[in-house]
Amino acid sequence: MKELRMILYKELIHIVRDKITLFLVLAIPIMLVLLFGFTISTEIRNAQIAILDQAKDGQSASLIDKISSSGYFQIVAYPETESEIDRDFKEIDIKLALIIPPDFEHALEKDKMATLQVINDVSDLNVASILNNYLLAITHDYINEYNNMGEETGSVEIVTNMLYNPESNSVYMFVPGIITLIMIIVTALMSSITLAREKETGTMNMLLITPVKKVYVIIGKVIPYMCLSLISTIMIIVISVFVFKMPVNGSIWLLLLLCIVFMFTAASFGMMISAISKTQIDAMMVTMMGLFLPTVLLSGFLFPLDNMPMFFQVLADVFPAKWFIIAIKDVMIKGSGFFDIWKYLGILILMAIILITISLTNVDKRK
Amino acid sequence: MPEIAIQHINKRFGKVQALKDINITVENGEVFGLVGPDGAGKSTMFNILTTLLKPDSGEVEVLGMDVVKDYLQIRQVIGYLPGVFSLYPDLSVQENLAFFATMYKSSILDNMSLIKPIWKQLVPFKDRPAGKLSGGMKQKLALCCALIHKPKLLFLDEPTTGVDPVSRREFWDILKDIQHKGVTVVVSTPYMDEATRCDRIALIQNGEIIKIDTPNKIISNFRGHLFTMKTDDIFGLMQLMEQFELRCNYYPYGEHFHIAFYDDVEKALPAFEEFLQQHEREHGEIKPITPNIEDCFIELIQMK
Repeated sequence: MKELRMILYKELIHIVRDKITLFLVLAIPIMLVLLFGFTISTEIRNAQIAILDQAKDGQSASLIDKISSSGYFQIVAYPETESEIDRDFKEIDIKLALIIPPDFEHALEKDKMATLQVINDVSDLNVASILNNYLLAITHDYINEYNNMGEETGSVEIVTNMLYNPESNSVYMFVPGIITLIMIIVTALMSSITLAREKETGTMNMLLITPVKKVYVIIGKVIPYMCLSLISTIMIIVISVFVFKMPVNGSIWLLLLLCIVFMFTAASFGMMISAISKTQIDAMMVTMMGLFLPTVLLSGFLFPLDNMPMFFQVLADVFPAKWFIIAIKDVMIKGSGFFDIWKYLGILILMAIILITISLTNVDKRK
Repeated sequence: MPEIAIQHINKRFGKVQALKDINITVENGEVFGLVGPDGAGKSTMFNILTTLLKPDSGEVEVLGMDVVKDYLQIRQVIGYLPGVFSLYPDLSVQENLAFFATMYKSSILDNMSLIKPIWKQLVPFKDRPAGKLSGGMKQKLALCCALIHKPKLLFLDEPTTGVDPVSRREFWDILKDIQHKGVTVVVSTPYMDEATRCDRIALIQNGEIIKIDTPNKIISNFRGHLFTMKTDDIFGLMQLMEQFELRCNYYPYGEHFHIAFYDDVEKALPAFEEFLQQHEREHGEIKPITPNIEDCFIELIQMK
C-alpha cells in the first residue's frame, strides 16, 4: 500500500506542477456549460413575425392577441397585401408570416374549422420547424377553446401532456452530454496520455523492472484523474442547477454513484487505449477517434439514436456513453431510483471489468 | 556459478536481426563491458538481461534464474540505468530518489552506504527538478535510483553518452567503487577508451560478438605491426593505398593515419616509405605505436 500511496503522490505532483493542463481541465467544463447554456438553445423567444389579417373581425383579433401574448412571437408588422409580406421578409427579416383569410369568423361558425396560411423563412430549417410547431400549438389551443365555448363538444381533442421537460428546455439535453464529454476527456484522455508519456520517456520501463505490482501503477495513474473529473462533474452540475435551473429530481447520491461508475468505465477505456498506444500522440488520436467521436455522435446526445441505421445503433451499444446518458437523464430529470437504473450501472461496470482485464494483461507484455 | 549465463540467444525485429547467436558469461564481482558502435545491439542485449524483452531463442540465466520464467524474482535483485534518461523530469532530485526507493520497498536511509559518495554530490541540487540537471548529474541521480535497493547486479546502458570527459572519468571511478562494494556491473559503451576500465569486454558489432576477453589480452593479441603518421590529405591517401600491394590494414584515426602490416615488417615499412615517395606524398614521421582497443576492434572486424 505504501507503494500505491507513493504513486498517487507522484501523480499528484505531475498534475499540480503542470499548471496549464490543470487550468484547462478545470476551466473547460465551466466554459462548455456556460457556452452551451447561453448560446446554444433550441428554445426561441420573441421571434419576429408579420400577420396579414384579411378578416379583421373579432375572432381574428383574439387569435392575434393569443399569439402575441404567448411570449414566443413578436408581431412586428401588419402588412396589407401579400407583396408586402415579401417585402417584410427581405427588409425587416421576419421569420414567419401568418395570413388570416377574410372569412375566418364565418368559417369557424359554420364549419367549426378554418384554414390559415403560414409562410416560413426556411433558410434555417431548425428555426422554421420550431416556430411552426409553436404556432400550430397556439392555433390548436385557440380552436379548441373556441369550440368549447359553443354547446357542441363532440369534437375529439388531443391533449398532449409534456412530461419531465414541459418547457422543452435544451439545458436538460446538453448537461448530461457535457458531463459525459468532460469525463471522457479528463479520465480517459488524460490518464491514457500520461501513461503513454511514461512509455515514451522510458519511466514505464523503470517502473516495470521494480517489484511494484502493476495494478498499483495503473490504479495510481487513474485515481487522480478520476478525482479531477469528479470535481469537474460536480462543478458542471452545480452550475447547471444554479445558473440554468436544471432539476435534480432523483437522489443526488445516486447521481454521484452513477458518475463514479461511468468515470470508472471511461478510465478503463483510457487504460485500454494506453495499453495499445506507444506514444502520447497515438494515445490522443486513438482517444479522439475511438472514443470521443463515437461519444459525441453515437450517444444520443446530439443526434437521436432511433433514426440511425441499424449498424450504428448496434455500434452505439458498445460505447459506454449511450448507457450513461440514458441513466443520468433518468436520475436527474425523471427522478428514477436505483432499481430503475441498475441495469445501466451493470452494463457500465461490466464494460469496465472487461477493459481492465485486457489492459492489465497488456501492460507488462514482453515481446 | 556465473552471475550471468547467456547461451545462443537470437533476437529479430522485423527484418533486422538484432542479435545473432550470442554467448556470454559474466562472473561474480567483475565489471563487464559491452563495447560496440551505435546500433550494434547493445541496448537490445540489456533489455533482454533486464527482463524487459524476451529472446526469440536461446537461454539467459541471471543469478541462476531464467529471464523468461523467473523475471519477477530477477527484477528484485537487479538495478538498471537505461540508455535514455528515464526519471521524472518534473520531480525534484530527492522526490525521484524517494519514489524509486519506495517502489523497491526500501528507503533512502536504509541504503545510504552504497550510494553515499554519489548522493553527497547531489545534495546541493536535491530540490532541483531532475529535468534541469546537467548531463553528468542526471546520470548520477539515475545511478542512485538504480542502486537504492542494493542490487546484486547493476546494468548500465551507455551511462556516459552525452557526459563531459571530466564527469565521465568521475563516473567510472564511482563504478569501480560500486564494484568494490560487491556489485557485479555490466556496462555498455560506444567509447573505446572506456573499455580498458572494464575487467572483461565483449566487442559487439551488427548483433554479433566478435571477441570476449580482458582488454589487455585483446591488445596483446593484436596481430599486426601498427604505425601511425600525420598527413594532410588522408582521403587522398586512402584512395592511393588501393595501389599498395603488401598485406596491410589502414584507416584514418582522428587526424592521424594508422597502418598495420601483417607481413615481414622489416621489408614492409621501407616498401611503404618508398611507395609514399614514389607518389610524392607529404607526410609526417612514421612512428610505431601500441594498439588500443579501437585498433583491435578494427582488426577483428577486418579479419572476419
